[in-house]
Amino acid sequence: MAGILNRFTSEEEEVDLQSNKYLTFLIEKQYYAFPIRDVIEIIEVQEITPVPEFPDYAKGIINLRGRIIPIIDVRLRFHKKEEVYNERTCIIVVNISGLDIGFIVDTVDEVLDIEDENISAAPKISTDRSTKYITGVGKVGNRIVLLLDANKMLSEDEISELSSQVQ
Amino acid sequence: MSKFEAGMEAMVDMYIYETTTLLEQLDQILMKTESASSFGEEDINEIFRIMHTIKGSSAMMGLENMSTLAHAIEDMFFIIREEKPVITNTRDLYELVFNASDLLKAEIELLQEDSYSPTDFSGAKQKIFDFVDILKGKAPSGGTDQSAAQPPAAAPQAAAPAEQKSSEFTAVRVFFEDDCKMENLRALLIINKIRDDCEKLEYEPADIETNPESAKKIIENGFIIRFKPNGPVENITREIEEALNVKSYEFISAPAQSAPAKEEKAPAASAPAQPQQASPAAEKKTEPAPQKEEGASVEQINNLLAQSKGSGAKQSLISVNLNKLDQLLDMVGEIVITEAMVTANPDLKGLQLDNFQKAARQLRKLTDELQDIVMSIRMVPLSGAFNKMTRIVRDMKVKLNKDVDLVFEGEETEVDKSVIDNLNDPLMHMVRNAMDHGIEDTAEERIAKGKPAKGTITLSAYNASGEVIIVVSDDGKGIDPAKVLAKAKKNGLLTKPEKDYTEKEIYNLIMLPGFSTNEVVTEYSGRGVGMDVVRKNIEKIGGSVSVDSKFGQGTNFIIKIPLSLAIVDGMEVTVGKSIFTIPINSIKESFKLKPKQLIKDTSGKEMIMIRGECYPLIRLYDIYGLEPSYTDLFSGIIILVEAEGKSACLFADELIGEQQVVVKPFSPLLNNFKVKQNGMAGCTILGDGSITIILDVNNIISNF
Repeated sequence: MAGILNRFTSEEEEVDLQSNKYLTFLIEKQYYAFPIRDVIEIIEVQEITPVPEFPDYAKGIINLRGRIIPIIDVRLRFHKKEEVYNERTCIIVVNISGLDIGFIVDTVDEVLDIEDENISAAPKISTDRSTKYITGVGKVGNRIVLLLDANKMLSEDEISELSSQVQ
Repeated sequence: MSKFEAGMEAMVDMYIYETTTLLEQLDQILMKTESASSFGEEDINEIFRIMHTIKGSSAMMGLENMSTLAHAIEDMFFIIREEKPVITNTRDLYELVFNASDLLKAEIELLQEDSYSPTDFSGAKQKIFDFVDILKGKAPSGGTDQSAAQPPAAAPQAAAPAEQKSSEFTAVRVFFEDDCKMENLRALLIINKIRDDCEKLEYEPADIETNPESAKKIIENGFIIRFKPNGPVENITREIEEALNVKSYEFISAPAQSAPAKEEKAPAASAPAQPQQASPAAEKKTEPAPQKEEGASVEQINNLLAQSKGSGAKQSLISVNLNKLDQLLDMVGEIVITEAMVTANPDLKGLQLDNFQKAARQLRKLTDELQDIVMSIRMVPLSGAFNKMTRIVRDMKVKLNKDVDLVFEGEETEVDKSVIDNLNDPLMHMVRNAMDHGIEDTAEERIAKGKPAKGTITLSAYNASGEVIIVVSDDGKGIDPAKVLAKAKKNGLLTKPEKDYTEKEIYNLIMLPGFSTNEVVTEYSGRGVGMDVVRKNIEKIGGSVSVDSKFGQGTNFIIKIPLSLAIVDGMEVTVGKSIFTIPINSIKESFKLKPKQLIKDTSGKEMIMIRGECYPLIRLYDIYGLEPSYTDLFSGIIILVEAEGKSACLFADELIGEQQVVVKPFSPLLNNFKVKQNGMAGCTILGDGSITIILDVNNIISNF
């Protein structure tokens, strides 16, 4: 009778049609991308409620149809200059293991197919602090797209590393 | 739960729920009979029935290890029931069954994890077999594994030649739906259902219970049942007809009357309601049948328990997926917000709208009621959580050799389901602590102190102003404040001079991480993590714990839990542009400061004197680095707050008003940012869609 337990363990290795698709966006003329399967939606910038004691790149929280979603300013996260939000500024809502989080970006570009053979590993030796959350570098035509891991953009290591660098 | 096929997940939930319920009932029966030290026939039957059901449903789920263990116990009780042996070593029997029940429970726990792999129960089984042998008067059989032995529980299985008996037997051939899987177990279910209605019963293949291969035979030849009913034949044919996934059945032979013509049930067309509902949903909800069976026995047990306990709060009558209730609660929360959004709409400001106001009041009344009802659905009596403690006390009584009574008070008090789930561990810790450290080691010691020889641990619960208060008290040794203080000092836990500690503060030191007064680490407690874990768990659900004790007389652990976690009454206050919500139940009063109330100590620390009491002042804008409208204490507002016996005054700009708010916890993604540690309990959405942050007064005070 143990059959049921084992019979279906290997089932449903479903073919993922979205696996090679990425949503690209711009921060200071550089292309970045999130895997499309993590992206929930793209919304306009709305009123953000600041939360005390948050790091400055964590802008606060927004009310998205009754759900409260934390917002990260990618510009500030990448240590670029803060800019006033305009009509092209967007919030990309991304799902990180079941939890939603919004990323403020300069502008959303398009959805791109990037085949695995066109993705090279993230540069290992680099003084650029942002390499930690870059999972790979994609090439589309003559455009370079940095692929991001949303989860790592919040990681504790990064924060503590940053604070130690400030000191 | 990837190890089960997709359609079975609903069944797995059901299985887990029911098996857990049954095991709890088993524990209760065992405990009842043990304390009454008599094994009534009814009790044996119940245990037998419970194990039988667990065996059946475990086998259905493919959990062979659990099934065979349950089978072993079932066999044991079958012998006890049928042969009525003189049980000399009752204690062993109880240990055996309690142990097995624990194993099964642990396995159910494991089952809910993703990385489940079946545990080997052969050791436990062997012990049971040995015991059975003793019961039978044989010497223990030692190493031989009897799991394959013929179960005495099964009806006489030797398939007697059909022809011989065809005169008195009715024979029926049953076919199951194609692809319904596990035909042998479905057949077994039918047999179980009709067994009581038959004087004699045989079936073919006979080894359906033990041999999965028999399923193939059933598919090929059909499942043949020969029976001699003790009532009308129709009763049995109806049972067969109604059994799940039965495609068709036919009479092979009938006794007196000439065999009725082939009765064929076409699955889709002429069939009555049953197969219709079965065929589309066949994959999804395959097995209401065992549930039905269980339902009956569960009810019987409940009745029994209700009879024996008299006032015992009866539990759940319908099982609903908790997720659905959560969704419902969320939805109601949204409605509460939306209602405020409509009725307090800024567009309405300054308008004279009598009819609108009337309708709005009506709406408000209805949403309030709706909210109350939804909350009440989620409320569960504490009796379940309390009853689990009986078991722990029982086990520890035996191990520690202390005689203790466990008394319940107010166990019918209801709390939110999510609270109950988080309450089990803390309660267990506290009861263990009371047993281990609280109650004196010997009866002589107690008598010398003028106490009854038998110790008492009391679990009581009651409602008090929006909170549920649960007290775990013992009449044992109590806590020695001097000892606690010395220990805390040794462990470097003191934050102020020894003399400044009040007795209450001293007792609460034992909640600090890394504190344990017991020199000896025992199996049950004393690793120095217990009370700290208790506090963490309780705080997780928004509650608090405090300790009160009288040295030599006993100890009380007092748990306070908010009645409802999801919706709180809050007071909105502004600090500059930000709005914060302070839970009303932590606010004592709010007032404008008068110059003579303000005191500064030598270091310039501000204090406020209210009715002869001095409270520290916390400026909210200061701790959160905000830009306030007022820095002058006399222009803004002072709010006196209290949490866990500590009080302080908060300084804010203005009070906006009181509102019921739906608590939305911060996204776990923000854990890195230490929101909780900074005194923010969550956030909430106001009527106009804006967000406020709910302050955690307790944290603010202790951080200050």
